[in-house]
Amino acid sequence: MNTGMRFKGAGLGKKVFLAVMQLVMIGYVILIVYPLFNMIISSFKTTKDIMQKPFALPVELDFSNYVYIWVDKGFGRYFLNSLLFTGTAMVFVVLLGSMAAYGISRYSFRGNTLVYMFFLSGIMLPLKAAIIPLFQIVKGLGVMDTPLSVIFIFIAMGLPSTVFILSGFMKTIPAALEQAARIDGCNDLRIYSQIVMPITAPSIALVTIYNAVPIWNDFFFPMVFIQSDRFKTLPVGLSSFIGQHSTKWNLLFTGLSIAIVPMLVLYLFMSKYFIKGMTAGAVK
Amino acid sequence: MINRRKLERAGWIAFFILPGALIVFTFIILPLFISLFNSFFNWNQLIRTDFAGLDNFKKLFGGYPYRERFTNALGNNVKWFVVTMLVQNTLGLLFGYLLSRGIAGAKVYQRLFFIPVLFSIIAVGYLWGLYLRPNGMVNSLLESMGLGGFKRAWLGDGDIATYTIILVNIWRWVGFPTLVFMSAIDNVPVECTEAAVLDGTNEWQLFSKIVLPLIVPSITIIVVLTIIGSLNVFEQVYTMAGLDGPPNYATDTIGTLFYRTAFGSVDSGAPEIGIGSAIAVVIYVMTFFVSLGSIVLTKSKEVEL
Amino acid sequence: MKRLLGIALALSMALTLLALPAFADEVTEIQFWTWRPEDVDFYDSVIADFEAANPDIKVTQNAIKNTEYNTILSAALAAGDGAPDVFMSRAYGGLQTFADSGYMLALDELMPELADFSDATRGGATSITDGKVYGVPAVSQTMLCFYNKKVYEELGLSVPATWDEFIANLEACKAAGYEALANGTKEGWCCEFLFGGACASFYGGNDFYDRVITGETTFMDPVFVNAVQKMKDLTPYMPDMFEGVAYTDMQSSFINEMSAHFVGGSYEAAYFSAENPELEYGIFAVPGETAEDPAIVSVYADMNFSIAASSKKQDAALRFVKYLATPEFGDRIVSELAMVSSVPGVDVASNPFIADVLELQENATPYIFLVGFRYSQPTGSSLFQSAAQSLMVGEATAEETCQIVQDGIATYYEPFQK
Repeated sequence: MNTGMRFKGAGLGKKVFLAVMQLVMIGYVILIVYPLFNMIISSFKTTKDIMQKPFALPVELDFSNYVYIWVDKGFGRYFLNSLLFTGTAMVFVVLLGSMAAYGISRYSFRGNTLVYMFFLSGIMLPLKAAIIPLFQIVKGLGVMDTPLSVIFIFIAMGLPSTVFILSGFMKTIPAALEQAARIDGCNDLRIYSQIVMPITAPSIALVTIYNAVPIWNDFFFPMVFIQSDRFKTLPVGLSSFIGQHSTKWNLLFTGLSIAIVPMLVLYLFMSKYFIKGMTAGAVK
Repeated sequence: MINRRKLERAGWIAFFILPGALIVFTFIILPLFISLFNSFFNWNQLIRTDFAGLDNFKKLFGGYPYRERFTNALGNNVKWFVVTMLVQNTLGLLFGYLLSRGIAGAKVYQRLFFIPVLFSIIAVGYLWGLYLRPNGMVNSLLESMGLGGFKRAWLGDGDIATYTIILVNIWRWVGFPTLVFMSAIDNVPVECTEAAVLDGTNEWQLFSKIVLPLIVPSITIIVVLTIIGSLNVFEQVYTMAGLDGPPNYATDTIGTLFYRTAFGSVDSGAPEIGIGSAIAVVIYVMTFFVSLGSIVLTKSKEVEL
Repeated sequence: MKRLLGIALALSMALTLLALPAFADEVTEIQFWTWRPEDVDFYDSVIADFEAANPDIKVTQNAIKNTEYNTILSAALAAGDGAPDVFMSRAYGGLQTFADSGYMLALDELMPELADFSDATRGGATSITDGKVYGVPAVSQTMLCFYNKKVYEELGLSVPATWDEFIANLEACKAAGYEALANGTKEGWCCEFLFGGACASFYGGNDFYDRVITGETTFMDPVFVNAVQKMKDLTPYMPDMFEGVAYTDMQSSFINEMSAHFVGGSYEAAYFSAENPELEYGIFAVPGETAEDPAIVSVYADMNFSIAASSKKQDAALRFVKYLATPEFGDRIVSELAMVSSVPGVDVASNPFIADVLELQENATPYIFLVGFRYSQPTGSSLFQSAAQSLMVGEATAEETCQIVQDGIATYYEPFQK
């Protein structure tokens, strides 16, 4: 039966409430779409135009900013580097994060909360605070100025919230499911990979996008650990348009417009996992 | 026999937890604790000298200007927490519930509400800076609606600048609690809602009596992340106001205070690593215990399925 | 056939070796860091010239975002390697941090030519702890007032000779519908340069700077309080809700000719011209009370080139830094970056704007808080910037602003503790 929310036949109070909420939500949609649009149109303008008429439409669809940064400024390579670093890091974030979340939430053992708090400690302070010792550690591991330096840090950055969020969701999985599998002869690894992971898919999709965005957009750590141009990432390239006293807004917006595309694609791809209906039946 | 099973179980726990723990330890916990340890030393500029005991903490809590700055900044962090809880999380819960219950347009909203998170903070800072500046779009809109009296220097007026930045941050992040609550509510077994609807339960009762108790774990997640986020605010203030928390420290947070004390502010000041590290220690200890407290508190409210 | 090919190959290899003696194995590569992403192309071409004359050295430039520069540089220098060999260093207090930490090489003995640099420019590169020079001063910046020449022509205005004339000009621009003064105070440092660029004539003409440094007077000196009050007096001519006007907004309103004046640093010139080549601007020093009072600008040394103490290639680094102390490089700073080079004997005629700036520098006072009071926390800059933001919106008086600055500095500055 359909237990969804119905407008027809609802009481006056509910009707008013739903109408108000629709207004709020439509308002929010406008507040989302407009800046996105604003960012993209700015990439077709000159810096002077952006300053003078920030909201005006561009005179023409001139792709020269795109060509310039992609070809002349080497953003093609930066883009690939970013894809590679973020992609690699996210694979490990999801894998190691879901494993640790499983270990914490599905076993009760002494020190369980301590381990939980250990992971959570990883997001209690900005990692920038630890930049000097971090530099020495990266140097000590001999990965300075290689992709591994930032990939390791990105994995570490993503793990704490992944473990925290996923263990919250894994806790809600009925214990009966697990016991049934055990009786069928599944070992712990199979329970993790074939029972718990599929059920957790919506939240995994959620933490993936939640962590991929800051990693994708981070320019600080690549700027610290990567000096060779061939390993530079998209955000580092973007930061080169921000001068001490002058900023090339047109190129910056072009770069930002390019940078948001992979995240939009990833989000739309992931959203099918956490939007109801597509995964229905996994739990029920 | 029992021992072997116990050992095997411990082995599995280690297998699942250790790889992630090792990375987090090496790249976050270890460097962070080395940094925190710096607070117990005296510093000559960037060079650590002799052991200082608690001197840096005494300075932080005892003397001008540190105590004033710290109290002021912490006050702003509290504003961040309260407003985020009240506005962002309440809205998120409402949105999440309505989307899960299939309000008209839900399919579209679900796909759009998270987009602000995808923006780089640079874009957020610049675009909202444009909209909120004195001759920007927000003031023009107010003017054209005949509300010219409400025009403000949104980011320059010390009385409201913090709230403006918080609201922009809510614009950016409300999609996150929305989706968390939505997927939690989606997971509420359909039998529970069906039975309630058949019983003629009204929407409010369905929400408060059936759904809410079943999504306590996700409420914990959001509350704890809000606590940590509010005590850690840095990027948003840095991008929209500046490292010095202008005007006159009105937007300062302990995150910006920490950063400019530890590393110096290019436009105004010199670094003091010892005191900066002491601030970091205080942030860490506060965040740790407040989070732990709220985790323990909400654990007792969880309902087993 | 194969043998022939082999011989040809061997021959050509030998030839290459002869043509480029010892090129392959003796090239020293050095890392050079700056905080000027906007000048990457400029330094690339400077490096190309240097490398052409010094084929045994290869310089790799790394331009880091200004606001993150100090943090990244200190992490790299603390770790030893991974650090640059040559880097741009901040002047005054910013230099002190790295000099006291032992991260920079003293250059006094290595570079006798530094003695020819003016005392003022060398001051920005000199440690107050040991009196040694730790960098080659690159440029000096001047805080002054830009004005739009077309607006002045249109309204029949001329460069003001007294404060009242300055105010009258602002009034005329305002009446004509222009934003009289582009300046806003959203960022604290914009208050500092507004003060340095618009009010120096009121305290700089006497020896206030020297006396306040020695503690003979304080920031409560009526002369100084009056100067601070003058800054407050400019608020009617600043944009509506100037407290929300950011640095980039000010730049864009002057570039787009919506405002008639812009009080700021001489370093703006290159950006102004680049973004709006049609913009015709002139500069003047904001005058004092009477035409007899000298019109004074604030000046400070900016950017030094320093050698990392940890560098293992100090010989090559020194040769590069020495190149950055030549008039050849100084000329390029003037003609290409439109900044005042610190190198003695540089021909400024190539850039009329720089010639104008130098003329204004005839009556100069140190940019007070940066030059004199940025060595300890709370710095004069941080105190003044935040207090001035309150002053401008009417939450504090000029006396209160000066009191905050005075009390804050007195917590550590010995001459004030008598």
